[in-house]
Amino acid sequence: MLKSYFITAWRYLTRHKTYSIINVAGLSIGLACAMLILLYVKDEVSFDKFHKNVNNVYRIVTLSKFNGTYHKDGNTGFLQGPRFAKNVPGIQSYVRVQSGAADLQNGQEIQSQDLLYVDSSFFSVFTFPLLGGNASTCLTEPHSIVLSEDAAIKHFGKTDVVGKTMMLKEDSLFVPFKVTAVAKKCPQNSSIQFEVLLPFRESEMDAKNTDNWFNFFLNTFVVLNPNAKLQTVENQMQAFYVRDASKAYKAMVEKYLNGYDEGMGTYFLQPFTDMHMSTELPSQNGLQNASNPMYSYILSGIALFILLIACINFVNLTIARSLKRAKEIGVRKVIGSNRKQLIFQFLGESFLLCFIAFAMALFLVELILPVFNNLSNKALSFSYLFDAKLTGTYLALFLVTGLLAGFYPALVLSGYKPVETLYSRFNLAGKNYLQKSLVVLQFALASFLIIATLTIYSQFNFLTKTDLGFDDRNIVEVRKPGLKFHEAETFKAELLKNPNIVDVAPKNDGFWGTAAKISNDSVMQFAYETVDESYLPALKIQLVQGRNFSKSNPSDATNSVLVNEAFVKKAGWKNPIGETVNFYYLDNEKYQVIGVVKDYHFVALNQKIGPQLFTMKPSNNLGLFNIKIKPGSETESLRFIQAKFKEFFPLSPYSYIFKNEQRIKDYESEAKWKQIIFFGAVLTIFISCIGLFGLSVLSAEKRTKEIGIRKVLGASVSNVVATLSKDFLMLVSIALIIAIPIAWLATDKWLQNYPYRISLNWWLFAVACILVLLIALVTVSFQAVKAAIDNPVKSLRTE
Amino acid sequence: MIKIKDLEKIYRTEEVETIALNKLSMEVKEGEFVAVMGPSGCGKSTLLNILGLLDDSDNGSFVFNGVEVTKFNERKRAEMRKHNIGFVFQSFNLIDELTVYENVELPLIYTGVKTPDRKAKVEAVLDKMKIMHRRNHYPQQLSGGQQQRVAVARAVVNNPKLILADEPTGNLDSSNGNEVMELLTDLNEQGTTIVMVTHSEHDAKFSHRIIRMLDGQTVTENILV
Ligand SMILES: Nc1ncnc2c1ncn2[C@@H]1O[C@H](COP(=O)(O)OP(=O)(O)OP(=O)(O)O)[C@@H](O)[C@H]1O
Ligand SMILES: [Mg+2]
Repeated sequence: MLKSYFITAWRYLTRHKTYSIINVAGLSIGLACAMLILLYVKDEVSFDKFHKNVNNVYRIVTLSKFNGTYHKDGNTGFLQGPRFAKNVPGIQSYVRVQSGAADLQNGQEIQSQDLLYVDSSFFSVFTFPLLGGNASTCLTEPHSIVLSEDAAIKHFGKTDVVGKTMMLKEDSLFVPFKVTAVAKKCPQNSSIQFEVLLPFRESEMDAKNTDNWFNFFLNTFVVLNPNAKLQTVENQMQAFYVRDASKAYKAMVEKYLNGYDEGMGTYFLQPFTDMHMSTELPSQNGLQNASNPMYSYILSGIALFILLIACINFVNLTIARSLKRAKEIGVRKVIGSNRKQLIFQFLGESFLLCFIAFAMALFLVELILPVFNNLSNKALSFSYLFDAKLTGTYLALFLVTGLLAGFYPALVLSGYKPVETLYSRFNLAGKNYLQKSLVVLQFALASFLIIATLTIYSQFNFLTKTDLGFDDRNIVEVRKPGLKFHEAETFKAELLKNPNIVDVAPKNDGFWGTAAKISNDSVMQFAYETVDESYLPALKIQLVQGRNFSKSNPSDATNSVLVNEAFVKKAGWKNPIGETVNFYYLDNEKYQVIGVVKDYHFVALNQKIGPQLFTMKPSNNLGLFNIKIKPGSETESLRFIQAKFKEFFPLSPYSYIFKNEQRIKDYESEAKWKQIIFFGAVLTIFISCIGLFGLSVLSAEKRTKEIGIRKVLGASVSNVVATLSKDFLMLVSIALIIAIPIAWLATDKWLQNYPYRISLNWWLFAVACILVLLIALVTVSFQAVKAAIDNPVKSLRTE
Repeated sequence: MIKIKDLEKIYRTEEVETIALNKLSMEVKEGEFVAVMGPSGCGKSTLLNILGLLDDSDNGSFVFNGVEVTKFNERKRAEMRKHNIGFVFQSFNLIDELTVYENVELPLIYTGVKTPDRKAKVEAVLDKMKIMHRRNHYPQQLSGGQQQRVAVARAVVNNPKLILADEPTGNLDSSNGNEVMELLTDLNEQGTTIVMVTHSEHDAKFSHRIIRMLDGQTVTENILV
């Protein structure tokens, strides 16, 4: 019996090649997508779970009120770890993890190396196996250094380097550090990624000063006693905090906040494994790979779409083709098959087909994994994700797909009445609402994704091409943090000696923010930029009122500031020129506004332009040079800049970036999502179309006689094509009508994430409609034309 | 073997009601060879399908082998059918994806005959139908006469008590038609009951008795033997 089923199934598949290829291709693409996404999701949920004690590890986090709104913060400082561990009985141990960088001497070369400063308990809290060295003592001595496998190979060319020394810059001197341990490479699915670990540094002052309760700059993790109750521990933490920090807090409020007290804030604990996908308390500040569950949802959604569409193809084609199989079903019933046996037969066929598709999908996944990894910023592979659970999930995927695709057709086909099928009274052409609605569903999904793709493309284009309010062309950014104002100015003067260097605008490194009192005594927060008089002209930033800083006006450095339009607006000033800004916490240092800068996008476009203030205060540090060069002089200029840099700062690492490339980098994640959605849309429309193609083939076959008669009666080729294509195009149009409003809502919602965004345009939808209709038309008419130009005599004779 | 009384079959399709069988009564004894004749649309195929348990009637009684079967459900009918009844159709109705051998083997598979027995039975019947040399061909590769012989082989491979044939020679030329009629006659002589629908007086002469139908009723019966 089974053999006979298998033989018929196999012969059906091999004999009806178009049908089989469409189904196998569609299903294998759908399955491959689902498998990939399962890998992705599995990697996401497996994040950080490899630490042995992970269920007892938490991060200390806070909830506090600022300017009337509550916000959560994952950062802590010097005190939280040691003091809570000492005073809250449920906390066994703690480890502080602070990100940093150090300059490292390797022969003649000096490189900047990212690293983590961690407490000596690091290897007892987390599970990172060592290749050499002692886990409990390797971080106790101040000049110890722990390397990862990769770092050891990078610096020494081998991994058994425990006991060797490396030269690291401390203050301004290179001093020897002893390698005390070499750790295995951190797993892919780890939030903590390190190449180099150094012992945590704090002075005795740091550890004693109660003000440090309010200094947040690192991550503190604690290990709870397995029997401790989370709620109790949190309550005890808060109680201790209030006891220990109240006095310092009150003094703070007086000094910095003008007595405006919004509460001390609350401490609580975040499970270590929740960090990776948390949106309000993400992995940051030295913790890597922060992710958003949104990505998992979107990817799963797309994969499900594709798989669903492939299953719909299967259902539709199987039922449409059943006219041909009706006779077989009738015959089988006549010679004694019952319905159950037929259901099993057809299910068996679906599973066979599904199995072939499944095997191909596995192969496809291996093939496209590198591309997908690149797109999704992952390094997924079967090697570390493959386990019984994954096998189980894949098996379930196979079974579900087989059932989804096979069950309904099996039910329908097995229900055919032999008296009808055997006397050609049987006609499927009738209503067939299911088939039609499935086609509509497919094309609605495909249209939705196409509209989404177009929207994302336009928005991306907008983000990368829109005028930022400054000119980022021909600007080389060179970083040298911690320069005194006069040091920066000497370097600048030296650079300007070269005629290829048009201008040099030093500024502070990174984003600084601060607060000050404005005229009516209210406190305002703003971005705080330290620049010199070259900054605005070099970047072609416009002034709307007043004047720029000027060399000829030495008092500018100590008395004057520039502000941007957003600042003026927030401050509510009518006549900004001449207004004062009071840095009350610096003994009431006061500055006069001398000019208003036109708002420009100093942060990426996915953030709104906020208030911004420029100063030339000489005691501030500078650290970033915007060097404007002559177009076409890139090679010489870069060589010159590097040579001068080495001459001036021999102990600092040199690197540069073109400012307009930075902009592309800012939107890397958008770029990746753009590609992922694009591929999703291409795949869905492709699978939908091969399905539509299959249906049109079957429909043309079914209507061979009708077409023959029409032609004998004088219908032209275009008449026939129209007759055959009309119905399908109708369905596609309905799909568009359904998809457009949903896509409108969804894309509009997505765009709300961007303060600066395109407005949704009718033409975008028009393009999508034309695209979808065109693709469908080509697909359908291909078969219709073929049927129409066939010789009518032939088609009539075969009937 | 077959006893039908006041059988009615009405087809209802969107406002039109067709009475295909109108209080039809008839009887077929074991070992008989009966031909059913009548003008197109008088209900011959409908009758045959009901006899073959492929279709159910709306009224009246049908006793098959002493069992009242009008109330049988789908599963019971399938069970009854596969052990007792063989079919031969005008349009052969072979499964295109199966070879001659496999087509004939199929009923044995459904009745659960073991593989070695199956082989012997299929080969014996293919031999008898003189179609053994074509055993590995597919239906499309055979002539109409050959296809109908395969269909007959398939109908008899299970040794059914009753063979129902709906215009078995309708698609064949006279010499192929005669061959098929002779096969049926042979089978009948070996004890199989046969009910055959035909439009051909020539074919009807092979039977023992002709039932003539008109508008869903039997009108006359000619006994030929
Ligand atoms: N499925 C059906 N739906 C509606 N009417 C039907 C159906 N099947 C048969 N009929 C009608 O029932 C009547 C009897 O049909 P049947 O096929 O039994 O005739 P027949 O005697 O076999 O004719 P022919 O010699 O042409 O094969 C006809 O009038 C036909 O139109
Ligand atoms: Mg008939």
